[in-house]
Amino acid sequence: MPYREKTAWLSLLAMLVTFGPYFTLVATRALPSEPMPNLRQLSLFAVTAIVQLFILGIGHLYLRRGSTQEARVPLDERDQAIMRRSVSSAYYVLIGGMILVGCVMPFNSSGWSIINAALFMIIAAEFVHYGVIVFSYRRQA
Amino acid sequence: MIKGSISNRIRILRFHSGEMSQAELGERIGVTRQTIAAIEAGKYSPSLEAAFRIAHAFNVPLSEVFQWDVEASH
Repeated sequence: MPYREKTAWLSLLAMLVTFGPYFTLVATRALPSEPMPNLRQLSLFAVTAIVQLFILGIGHLYLRRGSTQEARVPLDERDQAIMRRSVSSAYYVLIGGMILVGCVMPFNSSGWSIINAALFMIIAAEFVHYGVIVFSYRRQA
Repeated sequence: MIKGSISNRIRILRFHSGEMSQAELGERIGVTRQTIAAIEAGKYSPSLEAAFRIAHAFNVPLSEVFQWDVEASH
């Protein structure tokens, strides 16, 4: 498996195990009427982001140790074509999501609902980005 | 539009070049071993420049490496 496919799998996995539970919690649990509801939401996001960074950091170190030479090789034309395809696919998800969040949601939602929806769209775009990379490498393997 | 598919003889040419490895060929033309494997399997079409580099690596004309088979029209 190419090094870049491995890193894409790692990013997908890190997103799944961190933002999966985050969005499940956000969607299923209503914010309690606390004096500082932002603090609870912010701390949940901070923990999620830190855990994701930790997984990515450890994962990248592990992958780099396993394939030091391959990690140093610059992107070749096929890698670049795969990157272009993945970025353009993710762009459409992101732009569609931002239109929804920025132009439609303000009519019927507010506060953290909009912030979390925007965050969800960013994560969805990233998921598509890495998903397309994995799919392309698998298809052309 | 004329339809067709691209085939190649890279595997045979590697064999005739003293069983040159995919990694070695990749190194010569500036792509990874996986890209050579994808080209060889017909799953990735290289750029014209890379195609010429491959032909140059085997010291043969481009048409000896890549062939374009036109589909029969009805």
